[in-house]
Amino acid sequence: MFRKSVLIGTALIFLVSAGSVYAASARDYISIVGSSTVYPFATVVAEQFGKTTSYKTPKIESTGSGGGLKLFCAGVGVEHPDITNASRAIKKSEYDKCQKNGVKEIVEVKIGYDGIVVANSKKTAPMKLTRKDLFLALAKDVPNPKGGETLVPNPYKTWKDVNPSLPNVKIEVLGPPPTSGTRDAFVELAMEGGAKKFDWIKAMKKKDKKAYKAICHTVREDGAYVEAGENDNLIVQKLDANPNALGIFGFSFLDQNTDIIQGSFVDGVQPTFDAIADGQYPVSRPLFFYVKKAHVGVIPGIQEYLNEFTSDKAWGPDGYLSEKGMIPMPDEERAQFQSDVKALKPITMK
Amino acid sequence: MISPYMIFAAILLLTSGAYVIGRKRAFAVAGDRAGLMQMHSRPTYYGLLTAMWCGIPALVIFSAWSVFESGIITQLVIAGMPDSIRDLPPDRLNLIVNDIKNLVSGNIVSAEMNQTLRAAADHYRQLQAISSAALTVVVLALIMIATTMIMRAISPSLRARNQVETIIKWILIACSTIAIFTTIGILLSVLFEAIRFFEKISLTEFLFGLKWSPQMAIREDQVGSSGAFGAIPVFAGTLMISAIAMVVAVPIGLMSAIYLSEYANRRFRAIAKPLMEILAGIPTVVYGFFAALTVAPMIRDTGLGLGLDVSSESALAAGLVMGIMIIPFVSSLSDDVINAVPQAMRDGAYGLGATQSETVKQVVLPAALPGIVGGVLLAVSRAIGETMIVVMAAGLAANLTANPLKTVTTVTVQIVTLLVGDQEFDSPKTLAAFALGLVLFIATLILNVIALHVVRKYREQYE
Amino acid sequence: MNNPSSQPNGLNPQGRRAIEIVNAGLARRYRKERRFRLYGISAILASLLFLSFLFGSIISKGYSAFQQTFIQLDIFFDPAILSQESLSTANYPGIVKQSLRQMFPEVKSRQDKRMLYRLVSSGASFQIRQMVLDSPEMIGQTLQVWVIADDDIDMLEKGHFDLEAPEGERRIKDIQLAWVDRLKKESRIEKRFNRILFTAGDSREPELAGILGAVAGSFYTLLVTLLLSFPIGIASAVYLEEFATQNRWTDLIEVNINNLAAVPSIVFGLLGLAVFLNFFGLPRSAPLVGGLVLTLMTLPTIIIASRASLQSVPPSIREAALGIGASKMQMVTHHVLPLALPGILTGTIIGMARALGESAPLLMIGMVAFIVDVPGGFTDPSTVLPVQIFLWADSPERAFVERTSAATIVLLAFLIIMNASAVYLRKKFERRW
Repeated sequence: MFRKSVLIGTALIFLVSAGSVYAASARDYISIVGSSTVYPFATVVAEQFGKTTSYKTPKIESTGSGGGLKLFCAGVGVEHPDITNASRAIKKSEYDKCQKNGVKEIVEVKIGYDGIVVANSKKTAPMKLTRKDLFLALAKDVPNPKGGETLVPNPYKTWKDVNPSLPNVKIEVLGPPPTSGTRDAFVELAMEGGAKKFDWIKAMKKKDKKAYKAICHTVREDGAYVEAGENDNLIVQKLDANPNALGIFGFSFLDQNTDIIQGSFVDGVQPTFDAIADGQYPVSRPLFFYVKKAHVGVIPGIQEYLNEFTSDKAWGPDGYLSEKGMIPMPDEERAQFQSDVKALKPITMK
Repeated sequence: MISPYMIFAAILLLTSGAYVIGRKRAFAVAGDRAGLMQMHSRPTYYGLLTAMWCGIPALVIFSAWSVFESGIITQLVIAGMPDSIRDLPPDRLNLIVNDIKNLVSGNIVSAEMNQTLRAAADHYRQLQAISSAALTVVVLALIMIATTMIMRAISPSLRARNQVETIIKWILIACSTIAIFTTIGILLSVLFEAIRFFEKISLTEFLFGLKWSPQMAIREDQVGSSGAFGAIPVFAGTLMISAIAMVVAVPIGLMSAIYLSEYANRRFRAIAKPLMEILAGIPTVVYGFFAALTVAPMIRDTGLGLGLDVSSESALAAGLVMGIMIIPFVSSLSDDVINAVPQAMRDGAYGLGATQSETVKQVVLPAALPGIVGGVLLAVSRAIGETMIVVMAAGLAANLTANPLKTVTTVTVQIVTLLVGDQEFDSPKTLAAFALGLVLFIATLILNVIALHVVRKYREQYE
Repeated sequence: MNNPSSQPNGLNPQGRRAIEIVNAGLARRYRKERRFRLYGISAILASLLFLSFLFGSIISKGYSAFQQTFIQLDIFFDPAILSQESLSTANYPGIVKQSLRQMFPEVKSRQDKRMLYRLVSSGASFQIRQMVLDSPEMIGQTLQVWVIADDDIDMLEKGHFDLEAPEGERRIKDIQLAWVDRLKKESRIEKRFNRILFTAGDSREPELAGILGAVAGSFYTLLVTLLLSFPIGIASAVYLEEFATQNRWTDLIEVNINNLAAVPSIVFGLLGLAVFLNFFGLPRSAPLVGGLVLTLMTLPTIIIASRASLQSVPPSIREAALGIGASKMQMVTHHVLPLALPGILTGTIIGMARALGESAPLLMIGMVAFIVDVPGGFTDPSTVLPVQIFLWADSPERAFVERTSAATIVLLAFLIIMNASAVYLRKKFERRW
């Protein structure tokens, strides 16, 4: 029994090393990596593409934007992915890395917008917030409430402290961690927007941009802002379990859970599909994917996948992506990217 | 065409054939019962020796061939292609080769099928056929030669058993060194990135800093706020959650083990033990949801009822649930070793008038201690390395606190969040994941060296 | 603890007979005994309680996913649509939409039509397509076909929506409710066993999503893990425990093994990425690589458990075997290993159970991915059950909640089958001496 298992074991080790042969075999499907925010949208397109064409369904990994770009920029060839999804634009240093590794031509495709909502449980009344409220409630240092142009560590404990019209409950906001693109967009759009309401902070932007950004973008760390990870469904359920907490996450999760959570008003606008699409709702961010031009025409199906993604039935205002909660781009912008994709126009960065 | 799997199966088949032949040969050489007594080893060993001589060299050749085959064929195919293609940069060439391979295996090919590609694909197919035919011939020849040689050598004086045992012993040694290679592999795979991290953040700041807050800029035009990389709160959080888990798992696990092996009847044990083992196999994602959505709110509400300030993602919730998960590590492993304590020792204690519980506490447990400590150490290890439960239930805020009702974070949570984040991949934020991994690795290594010495000092051999 | 028999002559210094002291302490000692027993049984009951609670919550959430709502449509296989192009690329969604329009002729506005089309799943058109491809002779006929309902309708039928809420906050609008009621009256809505869940790969539409791909991926991955980690684990444990002399080299190995047990699983993923993918060039997302990584992760568990179990084999058995002339190898294989096997199997059960439920290390080697095609071998891209559970748990659609639990139920079934066979073996080898 024992000897037999030893024999099988050794045989398997050999089999495994033999397996490396087939490793080098060909790839006949598109390999996509990248952001977990774009993942739910890209997968819908991939599935449609796989079902309606003779090509295999692309493989889509959820690695995060940074991890995706790292894999993407590692080089040209079958072992590297063809497309990476990103919830932010590519950075200069990443672009340079791509260039260095021979990934010369990269096509950028903006696919639409993701609304970032602040929401709470249906068991309580919806919050009517302003961006200024959000800034005051969540920033690490806030302007001295007693007046004057100085900063003090955030003293606010309840929403009522921040704004007398808000309810008297403890500030507790579940939101994404600093590694997340959602957080990045939230501080930029909501908190910076709120900080600008203070004229002297706004004036700092010209004088000392660094200090200005530091004020706007630093989130308090005393427990009022709870970094709750990237699992948005978990945040939704935590909100349901804790009616006093607010949560920050993508619009698609609000869209699917309208019976247990509600979006807070931000600057008087509730996050609805239409309000985000026409720009009334102030907090949304663009989503992208990047295509390795060298792979187009070599890995089967990339061009067709791009056509599927940029067709109106996918990313148009009535397309199936909008049903999944993605906010489509305005018509001109869509037409612009559509023609760029047709021409496979690579981006340049100096 | 002969597929490599067929060759592999043939080797296995022939190897078992060789065993039968070798054994028969030994019987034949011996002649009768008396002759069998004259043989140095029992016939089985002659069979095994034949099988080993037949199988091992063939498998070595086979795997070496498999590793190099594809590369060589590709090179030959490229050499046979026109200059215009041969002179392409290697990455482009790589893609063309992919196309050829797709063509060979009959998949969809994206580019238009030109004549060169078709020719190359045919060439590839041809070479592949030649190669596998050659491999078959070589392997078969090798097996023939080895078998005939060993058949001739079989005689009463051939020390077959000793040879077989030496070979097996070397295989055992090879297996036990895998742990070393794994360690080297882990060190190498985190070391370089960790070094790059320590180029940006000093080692002392990382090791002794009391503040962990990787709030650094994600984009260039952003200004990072506090980018503090002091790892102490993270490690303290790991220790606290593991400690809570052990407080749950060790008493429950140990008492369960004692009850199962000393008190329970056979049927109860046969049902309860496997049931408890299922606890270790429930996916950690499920435990994570359980901790975050059931246990944490329960603890918070109880705490608020008692007038305590309880965070929604307390260390307690994650620790408790993790403790439940690792109960089987303590219970099942301890049960096995307790069960293996010789009955004679218990009978001795009973004979002296000890009650069952006294026997357990004073005789059985000390005898089983090395095994129990092994199980507990394994459980601690599991608690330190556990990821998903803490990711979902423990939160990310790195507080340096001894209060289990506050939020803490652990090394594994930080590693996961940093690795799958949206930030740039060579920012200190991502690299910090590797540094954390490295430091945790070294820390547990040191603890294990100490544990080894302690355990050895107290280890007793009974009987 | 007082141990009366240790007193010489049966008399203690106070001059009382030992039996009196024993009798005086007996009641207390029996109480202690009972209490100890109680601790033991309550510990077991506590863990079984946790287990039943977890099972209860998973099953109560997940059982409804084993059923799926279907809607009966009168499909006219319109030759005008089906003959103009090749059959595989014809406008099948158009056929489904046409059928819905005919059933509800009063629906006129564009907005309402869109809502109407949303009653049935987008998978319906693929279902029709398959039917046409299988038997093209049905073109031109009108047939009653049961098609898959949309996930929202499915959730409605299973009572997951609060119909009291104002219309604006519901995913199902009043007009859709009216349609569903009409369909119900005509008994055109029916819940059936959800075969798709067991026969399809992943999908972003909950009603079309299945776990077959993940089950196959888990199977291949664990097969690699079991075939490698079990023999290698035993071999290492036997060498370290029975053959190796204690020296620096074996100390080094021992410390290494213990330490590897504490390495976070995601670090094994980093190792897999660096060694198996980048150095050996194995394919990403393959069960082969996943199995290798999980092997390295489970090996320490198996080795440590096996060593503890080998240690507990009484020396007398070894000495007896050696005494009658067995070689060391014969002693190990014929006597020690069979006796140690129950403990080794326990280690294997726990190690494999962990490997089955682990998702973190697979993230780095590309197995946390959306893969629709069911893998057919060790190198096809695939995902595994816990990853599928993780991905579904992270999907916004409500219908994935019950499917997440259903997938967990399947994983637990997988686990129980795996454990049951090992437990059977363990019972066969277990003995007390």
